Amino acid sequence: METIALTINGKRISCPEGKSILEAAESHGIKIPKLCYHHSLQPFGACRLCLVEDKKTGRLFASCVTPAAQDMVLLSDSPQIIKHRRNIISLMMAEHPESCIVCNKGNRCQLRMIAAELGIGENHLYPMPNPKPLEQANPFIIRDLSKCILCGKCIRADHELVCAGAIDYNSRGFKSRPATLHELPLEKSTCTFCGTCVSICPTGALSTKTDFAGTPERESASICGFCGIGCNLTLGVVGNQIVDVNPSHIEKSVNDATLCVRGHFAHDFLNSTQRLTKPLVRKEKKLTPASWDEALGTIANQLLEIKKQHGPESIAFLGSSKCSNEENYLFQKIARGIVETNNVDSGGYISGRLFLSLIEGRADKAGRFNFFAGPLSGLEQAEVIFVLGAEPAQTAPVLDYYLKRSVKKGIPLIVANPGKGSLTGHSSISIHPSGSPLSNQNFLDTFYLELINLISVQLLEKEATDTSFMSRFTNGYEKYKTDLLSLDQKVSVKKANLDIHAINNAVDLLAGKKITFVIGDELMLQRYGKEVMEALLNLALMTGSIGYKGAGFHVLAKENNLVGAWDMGTVPETLPGRLMINDENDRNIWEKAWETKIPRTRGLDLFQMIKKAEEGRLKAIYIMGENPLRSLPQPNLLFKSLESLEFVVVQDILFNETVTIADVVLPGAAFSEKAGSFTNMEGKIQCFSPALRPPGNAKSDLEILGLIAEKMGFPEYKNTHEGIRKEISSTLSTYSETTACKHPIWIRERNQEQGNIDEEQIRFSPVASSKETLWDNDYPYTALFESLRFHLGSGTRTEHSIRISTCDSKGEIEVSPVDAKKMNLIKDDRIKVTSLTGELERTVKVNRDIRSGFIHIPTAYNHNDARHLIQLAPLLDASSNGWDSCQVSIIKVDRVNDRQLER
Amino acid sequence: MNPSEIDWEKFSEITGKHQGEKWGLIPLLQEIQESIGFIPPEAIESIADTLNLHPSQVQGVITFYSGFSTEPKGKCVLKVCRGTACHVKGGKSILRMIQKDLNLEEGETSPDYQFTLETAACLGACFLAPAMMVDREYYGKLNPIKVTSVLGEYRKDKGED
Repeated sequence: METIALTINGKRISCPEGKSILEAAESHGIKIPKLCYHHSLQPFGACRLCLVEDKKTGRLFASCVTPAAQDMVLLSDSPQIIKHRRNIISLMMAEHPESCIVCNKGNRCQLRMIAAELGIGENHLYPMPNPKPLEQANPFIIRDLSKCILCGKCIRADHELVCAGAIDYNSRGFKSRPATLHELPLEKSTCTFCGTCVSICPTGALSTKTDFAGTPERESASICGFCGIGCNLTLGVVGNQIVDVNPSHIEKSVNDATLCVRGHFAHDFLNSTQRLTKPLVRKEKKLTPASWDEALGTIANQLLEIKKQHGPESIAFLGSSKCSNEENYLFQKIARGIVETNNVDSGGYISGRLFLSLIEGRADKAGRFNFFAGPLSGLEQAEVIFVLGAEPAQTAPVLDYYLKRSVKKGIPLIVANPGKGSLTGHSSISIHPSGSPLSNQNFLDTFYLELINLISVQLLEKEATDTSFMSRFTNGYEKYKTDLLSLDQKVSVKKANLDIHAINNAVDLLAGKKITFVIGDELMLQRYGKEVMEALLNLALMTGSIGYKGAGFHVLAKENNLVGAWDMGTVPETLPGRLMINDENDRNIWEKAWETKIPRTRGLDLFQMIKKAEEGRLKAIYIMGENPLRSLPQPNLLFKSLESLEFVVVQDILFNETVTIADVVLPGAAFSEKAGSFTNMEGKIQCFSPALRPPGNAKSDLEILGLIAEKMGFPEYKNTHEGIRKEISSTLSTYSETTACKHPIWIRERNQEQGNIDEEQIRFSPVASSKETLWDNDYPYTALFESLRFHLGSGTRTEHSIRISTCDSKGEIEVSPVDAKKMNLIKDDRIKVTSLTGELERTVKVNRDIRSGFIHIPTAYNHNDARHLIQLAPLLDASSNGWDSCQVSIIKVDRVNDRQLER
Repeated sequence: MNPSEIDWEKFSEITGKHQGEKWGLIPLLQEIQESIGFIPPEAIESIADTLNLHPSQVQGVITFYSGFSTEPKGKCVLKVCRGTACHVKGGKSILRMIQKDLNLEEGETSPDYQFTLETAACLGACFLAPAMMVDREYYGKLNPIKVTSVLGEYRKDKGED
């Protein structure tokens, strides 16, 4: 690329060809005022504030839309330009209401800032206010379009960044305003309340609905603690409270200017009255406040006593996919080093950790072969994207924006999901399971596996395979090929009632391309989850979609530190750095570092812990930052088995369901109240520092763990987060590039080069096929459990957000128009849904995107009552029914008398 | 055009022709406006679907151009010129007379959907001032008698239907 030299304000600068004058100037520290420009939006040239003057000709250019050219001589602050700018601002102010004193944009209003810089206070122009009604019925955004300056940032952010298309300009001239379709309120439009427009709006036209007026006292950078995208946040703090949250607008960060409704608006849960503020110890069956010393002493004594009496295997540790890397590291170190057990797992068991282990386990040596696709930005360069069992618009909205932007760039997208959801409309091909109630066959369980098998066979038949990749890096292809070709395609089609036409089209689209897979939670919770994953990995090997730029797997992480907790060894089978427990050399590395012996065999996973508790062979559990009594199926069963334990420690931030069975409760700190790092779904480690103090006597979780280790007689375990980072990086070479926390990335992102897979050969997994399963006629409907974007996971935290709990979404069960008619259901009717394991009651709404035979039940609502319907069985195990769906029967409950009517 | 008489078959015929043509939004809207008389608001979403656009974008274009209307218009659309030349020649009284005669304000449509009254900044026929247009016909050098006869003609037109 050519370099261009030009002069601005007498300063000689250079920039690459194709940059605008504004970009060139800014990169050299020359400040040019602007209102409609944002680095991640296409330049627009609407506000005309960024004018610069060509010294030779006296012509004025809008610098944001004028490319820099060789030997330009420009002025950015000549008297002529200042005059023009003053006029523009004066005109804007003439139309602006005089409400600056009570405006929530306060000192962050860019219009006010520029007006102040130019010294425009009293306006000499005749005021021409443009009054518009204030829109604030929804709990998230206040729209006051009388303050709108028509910079178009909200519209462009909506179209270019989040691709929701909820708003566009309406009318023209003085009447022109951003408007929703039919000028309806936002909650009746396609707006997802991601709040991107709110934080990008330069004036008070769009603002966050809050009780607080004015500008936060200070702002601090942080990392979002909800889903696994790991968005960069700016927290606005007043006193010891977070009053607003905005994206950090850091170029090249995963989210840049975008966020989702949770990240932007649900952090008010941090101010909940249900926050734990002091340690509690159970005395005479009642949780009573206690001193830290007493609580920690009880824990140390009890754990050591139980270890002595029943052996280390009788104690389990449940770490957290929400806590930081450092905390998870110390947590499992205490379990393995002090208590000497490998019974360590995290809530990641539910949200996809098993998938990560499964993928990793395919390489002969952990960590050498990288199936993961790396940064999400790679999606926008993908050859073809294949989304399976994921609805990122709900679970990880920022990923959804990436996918939609990729589609806009012309990248083909194939979607396989139950048929509802915003991606379907954007996809080139979408394939859905059949819910035909005419047959009593279960087509959902078989859907994904038979689909992948069919696609693989057809690609094979087309010879659309990457033979050079396979001969270099894989073995077992010949057997795989023979097995695959021996599959009866007709049987597969019949088993899952697949649309063969759609599959043929998908195969045409996939042939000869490197595939980028996006796999979601629905797949992970499937009956055939493991088989599907292995079939997908085979497909990836066959097409050479691994180690290739942008291709590979994006495993949707529903929780902020799912990957980190796994990396840090909060799992039964691996040590920090994904080193294998059962490998002597791997174990030695950590035994040397910790100067201790680590048990040789893998420990219990979350499901096995519960089973062992039920059998009475587990005596104690230490739960940090997880709420299994809300997140796991069959809570009644779970309650019984966990309550029977001799000793339960719960370390958390909220008084949740699991706290009620605890013997000792320790108040921890939320991400905004401590320092640490999270690893996002890309594998990027991002550091954060505290924005405020933990409430009351609560302490950071790392501090708590250190104190417990000390009480148990291991004071050397106590460490700061920096100390732990040093400990890890001095032991593991992959973590060696430790940099100061100023940099958002603590270690380098995982290597994407194909080069380092040479030494290993990857095996193909055996071809698996599904068994036909039949419906139980007593339970004729298939209930699908889905997350909605308003809640994360089981809703432990988001439930405490006042904004979320007052929004319109009440978790209505969605039914298809056909079934609604059959059962005589209309909107807001109540139904009782019964499965083999339990029942629940909710209102319904009819949605024409739902396929007949299915009902969609949102999780996390009503104390996450949906889990009553699911059977508690091990995940990724074909003997269990999976956790993503179940067979149910439906009874309409009389709304007026609450009398039940059989239908 | 009476809104109850929307020819949806005609509508799908037009949108079917333009499937996926993002650039074809304005020609498509013109065709709909021409054949249906207006662009029914409830049709915006299906137009957007046809062209892979956001419905808000389609609405934005419709509301930008005064040539497009989301409200049903009368069978005869009157455009009275408000240009300088017409003003000097008494265009304002012509407008007032038509308003009184049809009992319509500017931008209104008669309840029987026979007439819509609009004004234009200039019809570009200053040599005919004061001028107006009915649909695509120009009527110049207007005076009260001529106006009454023009309106009568279009009323009569209604009588024949």
